[in-house]
Amino acid sequence: MDFAFTKEQLMFKKEIIRFAKKEIVPRVQEYDLKEAFDFESFRKLGDFGILGLHFPEEYGGSGADVVTTVMAGEALGEAGVDGGLTLAYGAHSFLCADTILRHASEEQRKKYLPKLISGEWIGCMGLTEPDAGSDVASMKTIAEKKGDKYVLNGSKIFITNGPIADVSVVYAKTDPSQRHAGISAFIVEKGTKGFAAGAPLIKMGVRTSQTSELFFNNCEIPAENLLGKEGEGFNMSLQTVEWDRSALLAPFVGAARYMLSSCADYARKREQFGRPIGKFQAVKHKLANIRIFAEAAQSLAYKIAWCKDQGRPLNHLEAAVAKLFVGDWSMVPANDAMVVFGGYGFCHEYNMERIFRDSRLAPIGGGTSDIQKMIISKLI
Amino acid sequence: MNYDFSEKEFNLFIDIQEKVSRVAESVQLDRKDPKRSRENIKQVLEQLAQTPYLQLGLQPVEGYQGQLSLMGAAEVLAAVSPSAYLSVEASTRLFGRAVNEWGDNSQKAKWLSPLLEGQLIGALALSEETLNIENDPLTTKGDRQGESVVINGAKQYVINAPIADWIAVAGFCDDAYALFLIEKETPGLTVEPAIETLGYEGTPISRIHLDNCSIPAEQIIFPPAKAEMPQTLRMWENQMLLGASLGLSKTAFESARDHAKTHRSGGKPIIAYQEVGFKLADMLTLFQTSQLLAYRTAWTAETNPKEAGELLLCAKVFCAESAETVCSEALKILGGNGYIIGNNAERAYRCAKYVQIAGTSTEIGRVKIGDAALGYRD
Ligand SMILES: Cc1cc2nc3c(=O)[nH]c(=O)nc-3n(C[C@H](O)[C@H](O)[C@H](O)COP(=O)(O)OP(=O)(O)OC[C@H]3O[C@@H](n4cnc5c(N)ncnc54)[C@H](O)[C@@H]3O)c2cc1C
Ligand SMILES: Cc1cc2nc3c(=O)[nH]c(=O)nc-3n(C[C@H](O)[C@H](O)[C@H](O)COP(=O)(O)OP(=O)(O)OC[C@H]3O[C@@H](n4cnc5c(N)ncnc54)[C@H](O)[C@@H]3O)c2cc1C
Repeated sequence: MDFAFTKEQLMFKKEIIRFAKKEIVPRVQEYDLKEAFDFESFRKLGDFGILGLHFPEEYGGSGADVVTTVMAGEALGEAGVDGGLTLAYGAHSFLCADTILRHASEEQRKKYLPKLISGEWIGCMGLTEPDAGSDVASMKTIAEKKGDKYVLNGSKIFITNGPIADVSVVYAKTDPSQRHAGISAFIVEKGTKGFAAGAPLIKMGVRTSQTSELFFNNCEIPAENLLGKEGEGFNMSLQTVEWDRSALLAPFVGAARYMLSSCADYARKREQFGRPIGKFQAVKHKLANIRIFAEAAQSLAYKIAWCKDQGRPLNHLEAAVAKLFVGDWSMVPANDAMVVFGGYGFCHEYNMERIFRDSRLAPIGGGTSDIQKMIISKLI
Repeated sequence: MNYDFSEKEFNLFIDIQEKVSRVAESVQLDRKDPKRSRENIKQVLEQLAQTPYLQLGLQPVEGYQGQLSLMGAAEVLAAVSPSAYLSVEASTRLFGRAVNEWGDNSQKAKWLSPLLEGQLIGALALSEETLNIENDPLTTKGDRQGESVVINGAKQYVINAPIADWIAVAGFCDDAYALFLIEKETPGLTVEPAIETLGYEGTPISRIHLDNCSIPAEQIIFPPAKAEMPQTLRMWENQMLLGASLGLSKTAFESARDHAKTHRSGGKPIIAYQEVGFKLADMLTLFQTSQLLAYRTAWTAETNPKEAGELLLCAKVFCAESAETVCSEALKILGGNGYIIGNNAERAYRCAKYVQIAGTSTEIGRVKIGDAALGYRD
């Protein structure tokens, strides 16, 4: 065993933190309050190379390994970037663009990937439906082959980047008589006739990410927009789980480190009863909880990343454990951090209430904690 | 980066599991038995001496990564027998490690060599009346009288004291931290009978008194001042308790899982009920998260000891608290079976409290982690 990061990885992490603190973090509060997507910050992520880190250079990516890619997510969280932007980045790069990288034709890759990697275009992934969340195999959206076209009918919900996406990877049934085996994946472009996104949903947290329904009403797409073969869609969605359990968890680990340093700064300065509140054991206790969460969660995310770098098939048990731990436990540091800040913690200006709200997505998005428990209890 | 143990390490883990399980089948390693406990632990030590286990973390062993390999092996041993684990580790990784790190060559030849051959049982006596070395200085003291040193003091909760051949007693001599190595039955050393404890009944633990106990000066070890002896000993103790925590979680989880898959209720195995299956999922999550955190801590202690301090405290708090949770949940899953004395999960449950209290307590651990985050030094 060897838990060491390379010198280059550690330097890169520092660079990302410096970049994000300067270019992105100063804009976070404004956009969170507006519940608006920060296009400029997103483009900056593209310019810095973060959106395309693990993609091959021929499409504009950097060819980075998975561990380095996960580290970028941790670094953004650690710098203080909000969960909305990191979620938008995750849905864009891993759920949408990575699926195109793995399963689209060379022509399609050339068409979509450079623009997705630069941030000029935004991507989303539509799997969840109003009546098919945890039980995705019961989805009702259908794709019917008619000549050289597929005709899509149905709707999706909770789709990150839905209202702003130029390119969507959409899952639909090509064989409604089947469950998982009937699901296929398609590329749908913005502006396609019969395709529309709903208004952004008003959410408790991750507010700068735009989440909406997608509607398909006799939406015709060229047959070549099918990714892979019919019936392969469910397995494609499972492949994104590797990213979901590593790169999408990493910002929560980073956020804990951000909360730790913010709370330490605050507790050193804030005086009550004639001394800094950091001198009270009850406050130290909370700082300790935050640190313990960060240390415990960190190795889980990097282990999934390292295994992916080794080309190993995903260990579903370990992946579910990582998701369950980060999901259920990330509320502990988020709550403790708010408490350390007292009344100020409840106010937007001090950032802790935002992280608290953002953290609440961890046990829901990408498969709820209950679903992780279901997977684990079946596999042990 | 590499998240796998090597094949050689895995083989060692299996070897330890088999060897110690064989002993555990013939003698009661985890029951209080003052007459046999020394013999029992000696049997375990002799088995372990046939493997590299006792040397890990003390001396380099080809193909193994010191503290890291030790953590993986410790987990296995501590799961098979929590009591034997604690005795073996107090002897090897507290007493033995002190001799190894701070003793001179003749001291090493005298105590370390037989220890590594499984022929000597050691103990380390640190805690005093107020238990907590954080808040009160040690009062045990040795005064020179000619070629000898006369020691006075009292220690409590000394693991292995009733069965040890030698006890290393922490105190002061010549105004410096010192370890006094005292052989059993030395005049002036009184070892009280083993105390009754909630768990770890197979580990003999007792008070000792030193009343004008005279030893030759060659039996004193002076750790260098920069070694900060009490803190370092606590750190070693914490490492030992990390392994103990993993073992408790492992044995409790496995008992509950096996029971849930085989015990049927309402026509199906109880794991099929979410109230049971999901509990197991939570338990496994705590266990696997503890494992990774403990391994990373051990790896840091091996490769970059200066960085390991805070991480070790985080791991100690997390793994010890998780062990108690996992054991407690296991007992719910085991139903009535778990409540009957003698099964692995109830035994682990009773042991689990100790790993939080001993070493740096969970409370003091959190305060220290908080202090580190704040940049406070005391
Ligand atoms: C902000 C946000 C962004 C999202 N982004 C995307 C996206 O980009 N693309 C996308 O496709 N989806 C996205 N989702 C959807 C997300 O994946 C789903 O919300 C999630 O999988 C849960 O589905 P659901 O909301 O329908 O809840 P349901 O499945 O209806 O679950 C409701 C409750 O029942 C529990 N439950 C369900 N089944 C079981 C069971 N078998 N046993 C025990 N308990 C059970 C659940 O744990 C939960 O507590 C997003 C969601 C949010 C909130
Ligand atoms: C929505 C809202 C409405 C409010 N309305 C009113 C109002 O109408 N009128 C009004 O007067 N006030 C109001 N307050 C203020 C509220 O009463 C204070 O926020 C509260 O008393 C805590 O004080 P503080 O925020 O200054 O935190 P601090 O006192 O700075 O405490 C910060 C942290 O230090 C800890 N701490 C402090 N001292 C110790 C100690 N001795 N030992 C251990 N830990 C310690 C605390 O537990 C907390 O975790 C409101 C606050 C909010 C959020």
